[in-house]
Amino acid sequence: MGEIVFNKVEKSFGTNKVIENLDLTIQDGKFTVLVGASGCGKTTLLRMIAGIGPATAGQVLLDGKDITDVAPGKRDVAMVFQNYAIYPTMTVRENIEFGLKNKKVPKQIRESRVVAVAQSVGLTEYLDRKPNTLSGGQRQRIALARAMVKQPRVFLMDEPLSNLDAKLRIQMRVELIRLHEQLKTTFVYVTHDQVEAMSMADDIVIMDKGKILQQGSPEQIYHDPNNAYIAQFIGSPAMNVLPMEGGYQYGFRPERVMLSHEKPKGTLLCRRGTVRVREMLGSETLYQIAFQDGTMVAVKMLQDTFQMNEDVILSVSKEHLFFFGQDGNRIRRDETTALYCRLLRTVGGTSDV
Amino acid sequence: MSKIPSAAKHYDKKNWKDYAMSYVMILPAMIFFGLFCLYPLGNLFYLSFFRGNVRNPFKSFQGLQNYIDLFTMRPDFVPALYHTAYYTVVVLVLLIVLSVLCAVWLKKGRKIDHFAQSVIFPPHLVASISCAFVWSWMFSSESYGLFNTILNALGIKTVRWLQQTSTAMNCVIVMNVWKNIGYYSLIIMSALRSIPTEIYEAADLDSASPVKQFFKITLPLISPQLFFLLITITTGSFMVFDSIRVMTAGGPGDATQVICTWIYEYAFQNNNSLGLAAAGGIVLLVILVIITLLDFRGIEKKVHYQ
Repeated sequence: MGEIVFNKVEKSFGTNKVIENLDLTIQDGKFTVLVGASGCGKTTLLRMIAGIGPATAGQVLLDGKDITDVAPGKRDVAMVFQNYAIYPTMTVRENIEFGLKNKKVPKQIRESRVVAVAQSVGLTEYLDRKPNTLSGGQRQRIALARAMVKQPRVFLMDEPLSNLDAKLRIQMRVELIRLHEQLKTTFVYVTHDQVEAMSMADDIVIMDKGKILQQGSPEQIYHDPNNAYIAQFIGSPAMNVLPMEGGYQYGFRPERVMLSHEKPKGTLLCRRGTVRVREMLGSETLYQIAFQDGTMVAVKMLQDTFQMNEDVILSVSKEHLFFFGQDGNRIRRDETTALYCRLLRTVGGTSDV
Repeated sequence: MSKIPSAAKHYDKKNWKDYAMSYVMILPAMIFFGLFCLYPLGNLFYLSFFRGNVRNPFKSFQGLQNYIDLFTMRPDFVPALYHTAYYTVVVLVLLIVLSVLCAVWLKKGRKIDHFAQSVIFPPHLVASISCAFVWSWMFSSESYGLFNTILNALGIKTVRWLQQTSTAMNCVIVMNVWKNIGYYSLIIMSALRSIPTEIYEAADLDSASPVKQFFKITLPLISPQLFFLLITITTGSFMVFDSIRVMTAGGPGDATQVICTWIYEYAFQNNNSLGLAAAGGIVLLVILVIITLLDFRGIEKKVHYQ
């Protein structure tokens, strides 16, 4: 069990209100990722769950029990910090068993749990070493083991992979997914990296300026974003969003574009352009295409058949177009409304092929 | 034997030049060290084998007799060692404990902490002779002494602070602790502030009590600074002189006679005992070397360097 409910929580640092009147439910057993630009309040939320940065107002419930004022150690949660926060003067073993010792877990149980956890994260041979003799990846594992050994109801992780090199980060991502699969406890993971969010989450919570913009599965967020900010935040390269008359905007994802020399049939938007930048990445190729009016758009293709400065025709079919209103909010696909049809016609009208 | 490869020869030559250059660089420091440290030390050692006074230091050669006299013929030298040891141990314990407590109290950086810090630090900036004079007045048993005036006003029997054996040394200790506490707590405080707060948050999540956090996390992490305090306070206290000279002049009787005041007395006030004073200086040096070595050999193993 480990369902977390935020009930009208508020957090201010001095006179600065970081979070105001926020409601959120984090489902039991899910891998939930809080994602957003730095300063959006995601870490503040995480610290509220941990109890190390209590809410100024409102309630935090864990499985229906109000834990707003419960001491961190009594909450049955474990946390992995961004800089690991390992106790540098203790050995790996002492680091892992510190929490159990404080909770007066009998020595035999303690030892068997430490050994089991060390085995599962691959630290067995380092148990009696000091952390400063270990690599960054191994220290990360200490922090993870220290959380796991407590067998908490909730795992909290504050950008735990941000100090690792790219290769190790991808490897740890997979390991965390498998760990969650194994433990089936609630994971709450904070990151600013949308790739991490997309790859690991069952449930993504996108935040900006202390507010929740959208909560949903990675598929929902990718295919059905609530607004232009989310549409551009999720996905790499970011969605192309171009202005229309009347303050409206339309967008399409770089990976949903077709490049060709001849005009394809059945596409709504068809424009001439020139390849200005070409990045051949192996499995895919990224292009920057300049339209004749100078606008640049990003395109991601599996084929690398187009060369620099080559003239191409860029086309997008209508089911891959997104529309946004003057306030940036999404205008969802509904061909029965006049507005949606008018927007489709307008975009189609910009075709110059 | 064939010729040595010229490249290797060239390399040796270059190496030699590098060595020479580095010695030239440290030469000024070495000259000062030799002139003001090694030479006087050698001279002191030489002096300790003679009897004489300042005008005629090498009047008669005594061999090791001065050293034997220190421990057998002079009833005041061994007590001076005891007094020095007592002074050092008490000052060491008080200063370390109090400066750690002060630093823990002050590190939060509230407004009152800045105020408190600016109150406890300035004594360090005042010459210890001046401090000693001020405290002599406060401890004075005359009618103008501060503490006795207060005791009088409260109707409590006054104390002859610096004039009685049981309190004199402790009064000097109080003065020196007061003078140095601000400086040492500043060192400890900067060490405390360099500990990442996440470690304490992690410890909170591990349900460690504040006391446990202090002993398991804080103390080990400031151990390098504590070790520094241990060495500097020990050596500094063993050589205490000016405050005692001003406040009690070693009295009453020999109650506050420490090694340095003993050396001063024998070197410049008693006749024909310069060699004895020199021997006392050598004994002090040997004691300090032994203590420092013990510190480095024994205690430094427990120090956690980042």
